[in-house]
Amino acid sequence: MKGYETFADVINRLDLLPIFGNPGTTELNSLKAVDDYVLTQFDGLAVGMADGLSQFSFQPHLVNLHTILGLGNSMAYIYTARMNYSPVIITAGQQDLRHMSMEPLLSGDLLGFIGNNVKFKYELKSASEIPSVLRRAKVEALTPPIGPVFVSIPMNVMDEDSSYRPPEPTKRSYETSNEDAVNAVSNLLNESRNPALVFGWEIDLFGAFAEAEKVAEKLGCPVYGEPLAHRSPFNSTSKMFGGNLLPGTTLINLKLLQNDLVVFIGGDVTLYPYLPSPLLEGKKVVFVGLNINPKFGDFYRANVKSFLGELVGKISKKGNFSRPSDFQISTRIANEKEKMGVTFVMSRVKKLFSDYVIVDEAISSSTILRDVLGYSPGRYFFSKSGQLGWGSPAASGISMKTEKVLAIVGEGSFMYSLQILWTVQKYNLPVKFLILRNGGYSILKSYSLSYTPGMEKKDYLSFDLPTEKFAESFKIESMVAGKELDELKWLREGNDSKLLVVDVDRTIPKLFL
Amino acid sequence: MRFLTVLPEFIPSSSVRETINQILPEMEIVNGLNFEKNEADVLVATTFTRLGKEELRKFPNLKYLQIASTGYDNVDLSYLKEKGIMICNVPVANKQSVAEHVIAFMLIFLKDMLFLNAELKERKSWPILTGSRDLEGKMVGILGMGMIGTQLARRLIAFGPSLLYYDPRRLSLEDEEKYGLNYVSFEDLLSNSDIISVHMPLTPATSGMFNEDTFSKMKDGAIFINTSRGEIVVEKALISAVKKKGIKAGIDVYVKEPPDFDSELFKLDNVICSPHIAGVTAESQQRFLTETISNVLRYAQGIDPLYRVEL
Repeated sequence: MKGYETFADVINRLDLLPIFGNPGTTELNSLKAVDDYVLTQFDGLAVGMADGLSQFSFQPHLVNLHTILGLGNSMAYIYTARMNYSPVIITAGQQDLRHMSMEPLLSGDLLGFIGNNVKFKYELKSASEIPSVLRRAKVEALTPPIGPVFVSIPMNVMDEDSSYRPPEPTKRSYETSNEDAVNAVSNLLNESRNPALVFGWEIDLFGAFAEAEKVAEKLGCPVYGEPLAHRSPFNSTSKMFGGNLLPGTTLINLKLLQNDLVVFIGGDVTLYPYLPSPLLEGKKVVFVGLNINPKFGDFYRANVKSFLGELVGKISKKGNFSRPSDFQISTRIANEKEKMGVTFVMSRVKKLFSDYVIVDEAISSSTILRDVLGYSPGRYFFSKSGQLGWGSPAASGISMKTEKVLAIVGEGSFMYSLQILWTVQKYNLPVKFLILRNGGYSILKSYSLSYTPGMEKKDYLSFDLPTEKFAESFKIESMVAGKELDELKWLREGNDSKLLVVDVDRTIPKLFL
Repeated sequence: MRFLTVLPEFIPSSSVRETINQILPEMEIVNGLNFEKNEADVLVATTFTRLGKEELRKFPNLKYLQIASTGYDNVDLSYLKEKGIMICNVPVANKQSVAEHVIAFMLIFLKDMLFLNAELKERKSWPILTGSRDLEGKMVGILGMGMIGTQLARRLIAFGPSLLYYDPRRLSLEDEEKYGLNYVSFEDLLSNSDIISVHMPLTPATSGMFNEDTFSKMKDGAIFINTSRGEIVVEKALISAVKKKGIKAGIDVYVKEPPDFDSELFKLDNVICSPHIAGVTAESQQRFLTETISNVLRYAQGIDPLYRVEL
């Protein structure tokens, strides 16, 4: 059996189809027996699509990149997949090994190049390795800490003949019981004067929302979302939800000022920018999770769902927290309507898209977006790396699994991955795009106001982009919203992809201390 | 068609006549009703002129009565109905003035103006610390969401408080969003608000609405403002709440006007009073005049006047 035949059969058996990619001559022979291929017009977009879909479905998806160059084009997306704990299997073609000493065109040290951005990397040596290496790649991608893996595929391997033994199906279970962790954390909570809970993305990954809420209610103490959570950390409609921690030591300290114990469950601390306050000094800090890699405090490895399920029976009431109703948001919405403030826009989005998966790449509006739209199971995704250009392909990938996906993206971010509209149109994907057009890099301007005053006026931080016209050129229906945002109803209607531009308030938001 | 304007005795007719002559020269202008009979088809009056059955009988040809004010408590509506006489008021001229007056009451208390003014002017001292607070973030409860209530909400939005309201008739969800309002029960409004402003009409249901029981449900130290009708508040209960719960009160209306100035209400530091003048500003009077004249001109041209009162 030829290597390419083995490759096609293995990825089919391992449930890794379709392939997302953008092939070159080097990869063509490996794809001879593959038809289920989603083409993107830029290498990185394939990784972004696979990342979104892999996270949403909790199933690995396969990416096919063109040699070291495609890998280079995709590095930001691969880094993001790593930061997102996304089980993406990345492959790239390598030159024929028989003349590598001549450093032929398109050759390179792929494994060295990808570095530590993947948790497993391997270059095939022979066709006989294909089943076991690809199977291992899938298993590695799904083994905590979940994340991307890489396989380099030399051209000559795909033309080799070898005997073929199909791979065994992969099995997985994340059920882990950690009695020590349950006992240690319950003791700490029961002895604590005033504990706080911080939940993170693993609550969504393992579907532990009910358990998380039960624990919070039993303790009676507030729950916060980890800073910049890339998935829903808690059901934000719960009265126990006290809001999100912000990514700054001072801001975190201020929020948790009264607490003597802080328990992070399924999440971690993300910081930006540097602030001189020592983080949570003098407080007991504990992390619990399967994937996370905490930089301080105590750590217990456990599946958060089973951990919380067991913890609830061992803890006693410590407070009577109940989040007061936020009546002030109505004032903000009314106040912002005339100037098309993001709070107003999001309040309208919430009314019409509450059953949609939201992919958030509206960087300067993300705090408001999270606050207004809130979190619910499987309905919120964000790039943990801070990358621009990830949201649109990720949402497009997710739309291969569900028809209700709304990417909310700034017009500057959207330009990073504009070509995704070609793929969306080609494969008739139902993803909807809401572009918040604020006339520039608002996050940079906000940062400038706090740390580099005056730079917010730099000409190169502002631009006017006719995003709706770009969409039309890709044959994607588009509109610019009017003052009442009635066009949101149009955006929601039907299963064709659409793009709506909202010209939002251009006042620079205060996002940094 | 004959037109007559009846001014109260204290407004000199000469200055008004000068203006009216430029607009509707045939308009007759008099002070008071010291005459037996008048043939006017159209009568313009203010709330200061009593227009009971006896007075209205002086106008056998009357077809349209225009009151140059929001209120028309001075008019015998049943007589008008019996005679088929149309009455219109001007409900749009002083809402914004009342709303601003209410905000003035709020800010005087929040910014500790009485104390600061007294410190500098009377005690000649330079206080460093005060109890001054912001309106932003406060919970403002608006009782009654008619035209004044919505005008108040519109203006408060810019200050950034939370806005609660109660009215027997709830606004549409669109209007609630527009004005930033959260609909709550009367009980919740009482217990949650840092500031309460009353804008209810006087009816049997609202008479004495603020009594010992309702004041007891308010937050200690809350600000209470009444610019609607004096009868809605039991004065004795208000005095008690000011003394026992630290309630601060801005009062524009009284059961009896002018009130009994010996009342303890006028001796309390935490009470600011104005003489039922929340809606009376130079600008609002101009608006009343403009709207009144416009309506009369409409009628004179055969067009239906605005703000017709249902009889």
